[in-house]
Amino acid sequence: MIPFLTYPLALLALATVPVLAAIYILRNRFRRRQVSSLVLWRFQPQSKPGGAKVHRLQLPLLFFLELLALTLLVVAATGPQWKLPQSARPLIVVLDDSFSLQAVNGGLSAQGRCKIFLEKLFNRQPPPATRLILAGTTPRVLGATVKSWSQVNSLLAEWKCWSPNSELEPAMTLAAELGKQQANILVLTDHKPADEKIANPRLKWMAFGAPLDNVAIVNASRTAFADQDRCLLEVANFSGNGQSTRLTVLAGSNAPQVSLLNLAAHESRRLVFNIPANTGTLRAALDADALAADNEAQLLPPIRQRVRVEMALTNAGLAALVNRTLAATGLRAALTQNPDLIIRESDGPTGTNAWNLCLRETGATNAYTGPFIVDTSHPLAAGIALDGVIWAGSAATNVPGDLPVILAGNVPLLSAREDILGSRHLTLNFNPELSTVQNTPDWPVLFWNLLSWRISEMPGLKESNARLGTEVTLKTSGEAVTVTQPDGVRTAFAKTGGDLALDTPMPGIYSVVTGAGTNEFSVNVLAADRSDLSACASGQWGQWQEDTAQRLEQTSAVWIFGLFALGLLAAHLYLVAAAKGIK
Amino acid sequence: MEPVIRQALRDGEQLGLRYALQIPQVAASGWTGSRTGRRAGSSIDFQDYREYQPGDDLRFIDWGIYARSDRLTIKLFREEVTPHLDLILDGSRSMNLEHTEKPAALAQLAALLATAAANAQCAQAVWLSGEGFQRIPNDSLTPSAWDKLELTSTRTPEQSFEIMPPKLRRLGVRVLISDLLWPGEPLQLLRRLRDGAAALHVVQLLASEDATPPEHGNLRMVDSETGAESEIYIDSSVARQYAENLAQLQQAWADACRQCGAQMTTIIAENLATSLRDLETIQLLTPS
Repeated sequence: MIPFLTYPLALLALATVPVLAAIYILRNRFRRRQVSSLVLWRFQPQSKPGGAKVHRLQLPLLFFLELLALTLLVVAATGPQWKLPQSARPLIVVLDDSFSLQAVNGGLSAQGRCKIFLEKLFNRQPPPATRLILAGTTPRVLGATVKSWSQVNSLLAEWKCWSPNSELEPAMTLAAELGKQQANILVLTDHKPADEKIANPRLKWMAFGAPLDNVAIVNASRTAFADQDRCLLEVANFSGNGQSTRLTVLAGSNAPQVSLLNLAAHESRRLVFNIPANTGTLRAALDADALAADNEAQLLPPIRQRVRVEMALTNAGLAALVNRTLAATGLRAALTQNPDLIIRESDGPTGTNAWNLCLRETGATNAYTGPFIVDTSHPLAAGIALDGVIWAGSAATNVPGDLPVILAGNVPLLSAREDILGSRHLTLNFNPELSTVQNTPDWPVLFWNLLSWRISEMPGLKESNARLGTEVTLKTSGEAVTVTQPDGVRTAFAKTGGDLALDTPMPGIYSVVTGAGTNEFSVNVLAADRSDLSACASGQWGQWQEDTAQRLEQTSAVWIFGLFALGLLAAHLYLVAAAKGIK
Repeated sequence: MEPVIRQALRDGEQLGLRYALQIPQVAASGWTGSRTGRRAGSSIDFQDYREYQPGDDLRFIDWGIYARSDRLTIKLFREEVTPHLDLILDGSRSMNLEHTEKPAALAQLAALLATAAANAQCAQAVWLSGEGFQRIPNDSLTPSAWDKLELTSTRTPEQSFEIMPPKLRRLGVRVLISDLLWPGEPLQLLRRLRDGAAALHVVQLLASEDATPPEHGNLRMVDSETGAESEIYIDSSVARQYAENLAQLQQAWADACRQCGAQMTTIIAENLATSLRDLETIQLLTPS
């Protein structure tokens, strides 16, 4: 700990020390003074009379105080800096947010064990600063930098362990960036690291899991199937032994259906069944085991959206053809008022929400056999092959602003554009009398794509059942949206527009209020990787390097000398005041 | 005699013109003088009548009364006496402390008292301590005529008293002027001074340096009488101890004075002019 002097020339000020000493010596030498009698001074020890006397210089305590204060001030003026060992590094805790940490072993979950460990760590050696990072589907910094355990504990309230997976690697990368390679990183999880040899001297991996038997619902879906809903439930046994569990299915208000499942080791079993479309929420539950989160699934009825189509074609034959095609898709609504799609021979006016499909009547027509250029990334072109097809159309170029989807050379056969209100205007350059397209599967595929695209652009939820951690898309038309989570937490979105991706941080039924309407969607814990507890483990991997001896930092010691000098001067002032009798 | 002392005597003489020595009743006896005594005497002031007794001076028989009543009656007149002041001055070197007003104040105070005594028709004798007590030359005259008032003795008044005590007038007023700064029991000296005196006044005359401790620092103290030296570092505690010692000394003298029926006061030499009221308080002086 050799001090480094920033301004060594300030040591020249030490020349004041002999000056001070000279002042005191001259001031404190014995001055001769005649007194009436020494009778009143007899309390003082008398000097030994006779002989040569050596007069010892008597310097008061004040001199030494001033001398010391002067020396300290001079040293402070030199700006000393010491290399002091820094024993305490900031701590960044990476918390595994996956739901597998909810697995209970011995009455305590892995998450609870992590909290206990963290509390003991803070009691034993509290770090100077702590940051928390949640490792869920994406790493997320939890709050600001905190110092005390109470602050950390309050932040841990947001650690709910509902994520379907834990991205620990990106979280550790984020921690390393935040810590600038100086902070200690602590990973709290329930499984061992991929590489058990941790080379990072700043990383400690603590796992508090246990390889437990677990039977989980790993897949659940409910899709529209004509006038019924087709349900799929997949139950997996992740233990190395055969397991028996009861599956209880409650569909709407019907009586619960209980079935006994005998699953071999690592076996998964799929159950597919149909229920009426008007059945309410379907609830499936397994017997209780180590991990309760994946024992239950709720499936809401699928969303059945239809497109209201207004047929404005004057060509009766063509209209009949299109009507048959639309009916085949099953996506056409029975109603035609306030249409979502208008099919006509000419382009429609702008200013409405309705889309327009223009089947243009053309005079001069060419029949094209290919090759056709298809923009396969366009929603209308999905599944369109056009193999061996004759497509007849006029040889006109596309209208400015239209984006061609299907081309024959430089002749657009299908083009689309969007007006200022967001409505789509599609132009089909098509002559049915010379074409064979309507006789191929590409024709109904094209209309299914059209209606499906239109449905995707209609307001409302796009799905009613989602997996935990995925985003649920809500199409809005600008009104305010309020989302209520299963735990009652409400999130309001004002003046939304377009697609709104809703997070699903926990399982349960979410309520979405859009304008005057209310919709619901269900989120289920369906993550086979995290339900598999066989890889969970306990232990410690890696160790923070105790490098306090090597990690020396330049620390200014000016304040230490200044503080001591102030203390000495205060003592000096007190002594002077006391000597003068000042109280 | 130093010019300073001479000048101080003159100043004291001028100052003493305003005052008269306050003579106690018991002192109104003594040698025949110009002051009315407490007994019947030969003055012209009538005092009383009394019946004739054998041995009375026939000159004072009131023959008119005898004629009217056939009884011999003696007329009594007041006695006329001359009271006496004995000024006992400390002639040691401590009263001649250098760089102080102490010697001048001593001379001035002695001259003042002598002049005040003269104003009170009081004779005086001035005794100076040294190798025994000696009267200073011309002490019966006015103070400006005094001589050899030299403060050079290395003996304390107590030692001088042992060598040769002053021949003090009986029933006289005695005033001791000293700084009283010597070790020893004051009661013995005071009793000898008080013996046969009408009144004894002790005036402690201190320089301001005696009353107030020196400033802080290292000092080599030199005793003005013995020349002994002592090196002392003065700080607040030492100064406080000095003040306590002085207070104890003064208290010892005050207690001894109280036992002997003497009056004591302390005067700071530098504040002499303002301290004369203290002399009135102890009934030593009175405005003339």
